Amino acid sequence: MLSTPASSNSPLIGAAAPALLLRVSGLAVHFFTGDGVVRAVDGVDYQVRQKETLGLVGESGSGKTVSSLALLRLVPRPARVVSGRIAFEGEDLLAKSERQMQAVRGKRIAMIFQNPAYSLNPIYSIGDQLGQILRWHDKIGRKESLARVAELLRLVGITDPVSRLTQFPHELSGGMKQRVCIARALLCNPALVLADEPTTNLDVTIQAQILDLLDELKGRLGTSMLLVTHDMGVVARMANRVTVMYAGRICETGEVRTIFRDPQHPYTRALLESMPRIDQSYSGPVKPRLAAIAGRPPNLIAPPSGCRFHTRCPEAVPDCQRLLPEMAEISPGHAVSCLRRGSPGRETVGAVA
Amino acid sequence: MALDASAMTASPGTAAKPPRTRPPGVWVQGWRRFRHNTTGMLGLSLVCLVVAVAVIGPFVVHYDPNDQSAMIKFGAKSAPSLQHLLGTDRMGYDVLSRIVYGAPTALAVGLGTMLVASVIGITVGGISGYAGGMVDELLMRFTEFFLVIPVFIIILAVVRLFGIVVVGTPLESIPYLNLMTIVFLLGLFGWPPIARLVRAELLRLKQMEFVEAARCIGTLRRDILLRHILPNALPSIVVVVALGIGGAILAEAMVSFLGFGDPKAISWGQLLYFNYEALKVAPWASVAPGAAIFITALGFNLLADGLADAFNPRLKQ
Repeated sequence: MLSTPASSNSPLIGAAAPALLLRVSGLAVHFFTGDGVVRAVDGVDYQVRQKETLGLVGESGSGKTVSSLALLRLVPRPARVVSGRIAFEGEDLLAKSERQMQAVRGKRIAMIFQNPAYSLNPIYSIGDQLGQILRWHDKIGRKESLARVAELLRLVGITDPVSRLTQFPHELSGGMKQRVCIARALLCNPALVLADEPTTNLDVTIQAQILDLLDELKGRLGTSMLLVTHDMGVVARMANRVTVMYAGRICETGEVRTIFRDPQHPYTRALLESMPRIDQSYSGPVKPRLAAIAGRPPNLIAPPSGCRFHTRCPEAVPDCQRLLPEMAEISPGHAVSCLRRGSPGRETVGAVA
Repeated sequence: MALDASAMTASPGTAAKPPRTRPPGVWVQGWRRFRHNTTGMLGLSLVCLVVAVAVIGPFVVHYDPNDQSAMIKFGAKSAPSLQHLLGTDRMGYDVLSRIVYGAPTALAVGLGTMLVASVIGITVGGISGYAGGMVDELLMRFTEFFLVIPVFIIILAVVRLFGIVVVGTPLESIPYLNLMTIVFLLGLFGWPPIARLVRAELLRLKQMEFVEAARCIGTLRRDILLRHILPNALPSIVVVVALGIGGAILAEAMVSFLGFGDPKAISWGQLLYFNYEALKVAPWASVAPGAAIFITALGFNLLADGLADAFNPRLKQ
């Protein structure tokens, strides 16, 4: 596991390390399906500090969305959080009662969804469905709640917010809906916003606007953000730190700069190489090909023994089939789980049935 | 209320008064599409006609439905004339007033049946779809069990037996007890389609992101069901209910035609039952109630058809 004291003391660029807001340790979420136990998230650690954006990156099926839903204790059936600790604002979320969790959801931790078209209820007007949240969480009156909703709509850059209150979701464009969703997430001034691929379903120009907006709001409101995405470009633009996930495990975590300039884990490297770079020419006589990662993500019912990436890893050595690497810090704030980078390994052959 | 200052000042007071006018929601939108739907509008007109007859008719017609005085002057089975616009029937009743007084009965049967069916259907389907798993499995098998029961035989048997059992008990004095039994039984056997539809809608809506979003903002399970899922399923429910009303009216007519109807209630099916033997002599006495049943059932079916089109988002232009 990550040697935490060192990492939480490591300085952010140009500032003293802010306090830790969220610390997830040893989180495991398993899906109990008819075919067997899918270890979607299997011993994951990450931290989000105050006012920081952590990018959680990985391909589909790597467990990034499930591990973020676990923060709200809303993993879909048949999944269950089987172990781990989620310390948020000094409290263990996994130890809370369902009732106590209801006060956390939306109020302290809010979520922005992938598809704005479906994440608003079609039968309620914008003012109604957003105001409803405020009335429920903050126990305020209807008038007051609508005023607050309008104020937030203005904040997320919606023109004429007061008249939007009575509009219905289908009357808004996709980008507009995502703005409304962002406003909804920020309604109760949450300490942490979970953004699950917030721009994947938007067209490119709108993506840029939404990212700008998120960036601006985060700065203004001092909210921390957990940005779940598969898009390294979005991470480079938005995040302070990155955690890379593969097959339910963390590969590498560190400052965005470090990860992009000096990726250590072979998976991170492969991920970055599979992305076109602006400083490289793709025309001309010699056309470099974008590198793809060979093979497919492993079946998580029976994950590969040892390091989960060894089946696709260009640098794999025989030990990788046997030993499951654990996170180890290689420089302040930069931790990797790879035997080739000196991470300690744990015997797994025989341990996983 | 601790946002940054610029946002606060940016909206000086304007946010405080939301306008009253509401732009179109699902219902208004549905109505707009419905208005352009010829079959739907035809159905609605027919239904309105029946409702109008039921409400206004009794004040317009000249004869009491139980008035047999025509026997004295015109005689039974007399052809339509100015005094008796639709003639008289085998028992000397004025056919027109029997038809008019039969309309409220038909509507009451249709609405009552679907009320009973909806309550059971929405409850069973709702629990089934929302809970899922074993509960769902059991409730759906239970629903299928109800689907395969030969409804009419049971209704006829229960109506007859119940009619005998109540004799001599205080229950006997309840007006229209027989009719209410029929309505209740029709509802009791009419809910499975509603339950299945509600379950299907719930399974679909449960997966929607806005439901997940509602969960993520801490909404209670009960509120998610009542405020987010059920209202979205309502348009489809309205369609099956409208369809069911027509079916229920037909079913009651059938029960009455077989002679198991409420003797005190005036029902179209019963008119047929009393007069079909005189079909050749006094066709008006049988054709008129037949036409009334036809118009009403057709009206509700067309209405349901139109509603289905209007609420179907795929037909949105």
